[in-house]
Amino acid sequence: MIIMRQKFKKTSSTNKRDITNISSEYEVNLSNELESNKKEIYRLLGNSSDLVTREFQLGKIRPINARILFLDGLIDKEFIQNYLLNPLINDLRESKSDEKVLDVQELYQFIKDFTITTAELAEIKNFKGLLEHLLAGDTILLIDGIAKGFAVGARGAKERGVEEPTTQKVVRGPKDSFTETISVNIALIRKRIKDPNLWLESFAYGRKTKTKVTIAYIHGIVNPRIVDEVKARLAKIDIDGILESGYIEELIEDETYTPFPTMFNTERPDAVSAALLEGKVAILVDGTPFVLLVPALFVDFFQASEDYYQRSDISSLIRLLRYIAFFLALLTPSVYIALTTFHQEMIPTTLLVSLAAQREGIPFPAFVEALLMEITFELLREAGIRLPTPIGSAISIVGALVLGQAAVDAGIVSATMVIVVSLTAISSFIFPSYSLAISVRMLRFPFMVMAATFGLFGIFIGLIILTLHLTSLRSFGIPYLSPFAPFIAEDQRDAVFRAPRWAQKKRPRLINQRNTRRENAGQPQPDRKG
Amino acid sequence: MKIILRLFISLIICLSLSGCWSAKELTDITLATALAIDKDENNEYKVTIQVVNPSEVAGDQISSRSSVATYSATGRTMFEAVRKITKISPRKVHLSHLQILVYGEEFAREGIGETLDFLIRDHGFRTDFTIAIAKGLTAEDLVSVLTPLEKIPAQKIASSIESSQDNWAPSKEVLLNELIESVSSEGKDAILTGIYVQGDPDEGKSMQNVESADAPAKVRLDAIGVFSGDKLLGWLNEDQSKGFNYITNNISSTVGWVNCGDGDRTITLEVINSETKIKGSIKNGKPEINLDLNIAVNVADVECSIDLTNTEERNEVEKKLEQKTVDLINDSVSAAKEYESDIFGFGAAIRRSDPQEWKNVKDNWATLFPETDVKANVTVQIEQSGMITTPIYNDIKKKTKEGN
Repeated sequence: MIIMRQKFKKTSSTNKRDITNISSEYEVNLSNELESNKKEIYRLLGNSSDLVTREFQLGKIRPINARILFLDGLIDKEFIQNYLLNPLINDLRESKSDEKVLDVQELYQFIKDFTITTAELAEIKNFKGLLEHLLAGDTILLIDGIAKGFAVGARGAKERGVEEPTTQKVVRGPKDSFTETISVNIALIRKRIKDPNLWLESFAYGRKTKTKVTIAYIHGIVNPRIVDEVKARLAKIDIDGILESGYIEELIEDETYTPFPTMFNTERPDAVSAALLEGKVAILVDGTPFVLLVPALFVDFFQASEDYYQRSDISSLIRLLRYIAFFLALLTPSVYIALTTFHQEMIPTTLLVSLAAQREGIPFPAFVEALLMEITFELLREAGIRLPTPIGSAISIVGALVLGQAAVDAGIVSATMVIVVSLTAISSFIFPSYSLAISVRMLRFPFMVMAATFGLFGIFIGLIILTLHLTSLRSFGIPYLSPFAPFIAEDQRDAVFRAPRWAQKKRPRLINQRNTRRENAGQPQPDRKG
Repeated sequence: MKIILRLFISLIICLSLSGCWSAKELTDITLATALAIDKDENNEYKVTIQVVNPSEVAGDQISSRSSVATYSATGRTMFEAVRKITKISPRKVHLSHLQILVYGEEFAREGIGETLDFLIRDHGFRTDFTIAIAKGLTAEDLVSVLTPLEKIPAQKIASSIESSQDNWAPSKEVLLNELIESVSSEGKDAILTGIYVQGDPDEGKSMQNVESADAPAKVRLDAIGVFSGDKLLGWLNEDQSKGFNYITNNISSTVGWVNCGDGDRTITLEVINSETKIKGSIKNGKPEINLDLNIAVNVADVECSIDLTNTEERNEVEKKLEQKTVDLINDSVSAAKEYESDIFGFGAAIRRSDPQEWKNVKDNWATLFPETDVKANVTVQIEQSGMITTPIYNDIKKKTKEGN
C-alpha cells in the first residue's frame, strides 16, 4: 500500500508540471484582429462541432466587424437574440445613423455602457479568461480592432427543475430538493436564511472539469477554524475532474480507511439550512444535488429532517427505534449464528426445539446458511436499485417467492433464517442516511465471521473494536462519537432523544464555541388568567 | 496504516486458525430434557436421559414416531455414565436444557449426595431444573412414560410441579442450588417432591399411551419426600405437605374449606396470600418456634346458609380456618419430628435469632429437634366474598321449605 502511494505521488507531480505549461500557453492576450482571434479559439477547442459563431456588423456608416461565439446547448439563444444581437445590430444602427462616427475604442465603451442590456457582463483580455467563460456557457462578443472582448452571461443549459427529494423523504416538511445547478442550490439556501452573515466562497476544482465548488457558512456562528480547515483541505485538491460531491468527500475526509462516513450528504435544502444554523459548513458542488455538510457526527446519521418537524416525543421514540435498528441490522444474523452454534443454553427450550426441528435436514452449517441468504439479499437489493422501476418490482417478487419460499421448501435454508435476514434487511432500510446504511450492511459480514468462529465472545470483540474505532474517528477535528464520547450533557438534548425546541437552548458545543445560544424564549406559558 | 494492516492480518489468523472452536451445530446435538439416576445391580450409576426428537415436536410434518427417546448407560461415576450414552445416542447429548432431574426412590434412600458435585461442577448444566423423586419405581421407568398433552414428558412434569406449587400447594419446586444448600447446610433438611406413575409404567412407554384420551399410565405428582442429610427417609401426605408449605412461607395460592353452620355443609376459601414469620429461640434448653401466619382469603364457594355481610359470622369462618391451618401445621410438624428431620429450617431460624445459643445446640440438633415446641399463631382475613353476597343455598333452602 505504501509503495503504491509513493507511486501516486510521483505521477501527480509530473502532471502538475504539464498543466502549468498548458495554462501558460492560454495566458496569451487577445489580438486586435478578429479573424486571428477566431482562428485561435477554433484551434484551442480543436474545431469542436458545438462551437457556434455568428459574424455581424456594428453601425451603419462605417460598419465594424464583430462576432459572437458560444457553445451550442449551453446558452439561452432567445435571450441572446433579444438582448444582445438585437441591440447590437438594430439599435446601434439606428442610434448611430445621425451621429458622428465613433472610433473603435469609443464604440467599445458605448456598447458596454449603453447597448448591452444583460445583467452579467465581464471583460476578457486573454484566451484563458475567454475559454473559462466560453466553456462555462457564457457568450463571447469580440469586436474587430480591439484586443478585448465581452463575456455575456446568458446561460441556458437544460437543467432539471426543483423536484421532490428522492433519497430523504418526509411526511411532514418541505418537499423541495437540490438540483444539479449550483446557483439554484445556493438560492434555495438563501431563500431560507435571509441573513447577511450567510457567506459563500466559491472555487473551481478539477483541471478539466473546472467544477464550481462553493462553501457556505454563517459568519458569527461557524467556528472559523473549521472554515479554515475546509478551505485548506479543498486547496490541496488537484484532480482531473469532479463530477459529484463524493469526489470532494474522498479527497478531503479525515479518514479514508473507515466504513463510517465522516461527512454528511443531503439533497434537502432544509437539512443544509439547519446544519448551517448549528454552525456547520456546507460544501456545494456544481453538477450534483448532494451537498456535503461538515463536521458530521455519528448522531447526525440517525437524525432525519422530519425529527424536527414532528412533536419531540414522537421523534424521540422514532430516533430510539433507529438506534435499535442499527444494532438489529448489524447484529441479528451474527447473534443468530452465535446462539445456534455456540450458546444453545441461552435459547428458551421451546424455541430451541423448534429451531432444531427446522434445522433438521438443512445441509449447511448456520454460518453458511446465513451467508447464503445475506448474499442473496444483497444481490436482490443491488439489482433492485439498478433496474428500471417496472422490472425492479419483478425482482422483488422473484426474491420473495423464489428465494424465500422455495429455499425453505427445498430444505436449503430454515424458515428462521429467512426471518432473520428479513429483519436485518428491514432494519437497514430505516436509516435516514443511505451512507450509514451501506456501512452497516458491510459491517454485518465481519460480525458474522466473528460469530461463526468465536460465538458471542467474537461478537463482543467485534463490538469493542468497533467502539474503539468510532472513538478514534474525527470529522474536521470534532470527535465522531460526541456528544457521547466525550460526553456532553447539554448536547444530549438532541442526540438519542430530541428535547422540545424551547429546551434546546444551545448549539452543539464542540462544533460551536462562540455565540452558542440559539433559543431564548423558554417554555411556552399560555396566559391562563383570561 | 501499518498498524491497521497488522491488526487485520492477526485477526484473520485468529479467525482462521481457531476453526470454530467448540462450535456445535443444532444438527449435531441432541437436547436432553430429563435425567434419571438409579443404581444398577452392580451398584454402578445407571443414568437414563430423555432426549427430544425436535421434528416430532415442532416439525412441519408430524409422523407417528415418538417425540422423545430414552437412552441409558451405566458407569462407575456419573460423568462416565453420561458420556457412555454417546454409544447409543447418534449425537452428542446437550444437557443445558434439562427440565427435570429424577432420582429413583431406592437410590434416594441410599443417598443422593455423591451425584450433586457433578451436577453443579459440569459447565453443561444450567442449574434451573427441577429435582424430584420417582416414588415407588425407578427413575428410568418414570422418564420413559409418554404423556398425552405435552409432547415432551419432562416439560409436563416440570410444569405441573410448578403449577401445583403455585395453585394447590402440596408440592415444592426444588432447584439444584436449593437442594445443595439444604443438604449441606446446618439447621435445615432437604425435601423433594415425589412423582409416581399411576398404572403400569411399561405400558406408558409405548405410543399407545398417548393415543387414548385416558392414558393407561399417568404421571402424577405426590406429596413431599423428607430427607435427612442426603438420604430419603419417607413421605409426607398431602395435608402435611401443605402444612410444610405454610410453615416455609411457600404458599402463593391454595384452597381450604371449613365446615359451616349445620352439619357437614362447607364453605370453601381460596388463599390468595399467605405470609409466615418464623421466630426461633431456646428456652430452658428446649427449642421453641413461634410461627406468625397472616393469611388472606377470598370466598370461593358457599354451600351453606351464611350471611357474609355479618361480621360475626365472617369472624366465625375465619376462626375455623385459623384452627384448621394450625392443625395442618401441627400435623406436618409432628410428621417431621417422627422422621427427626428439620425440613422447615427451624434450626436455621434459631441460628438467626440466637447465634450464641445455636452453637451450643447445633451438634445435637437432630435429637433436640423432635422436642421443639411449635406455637402457631394464624390470622385469617376474608378479603372478598366474590361476585355475590347471599349464598344461592339460601334461596334453594327457602324454596324447598315453601314446597313442603
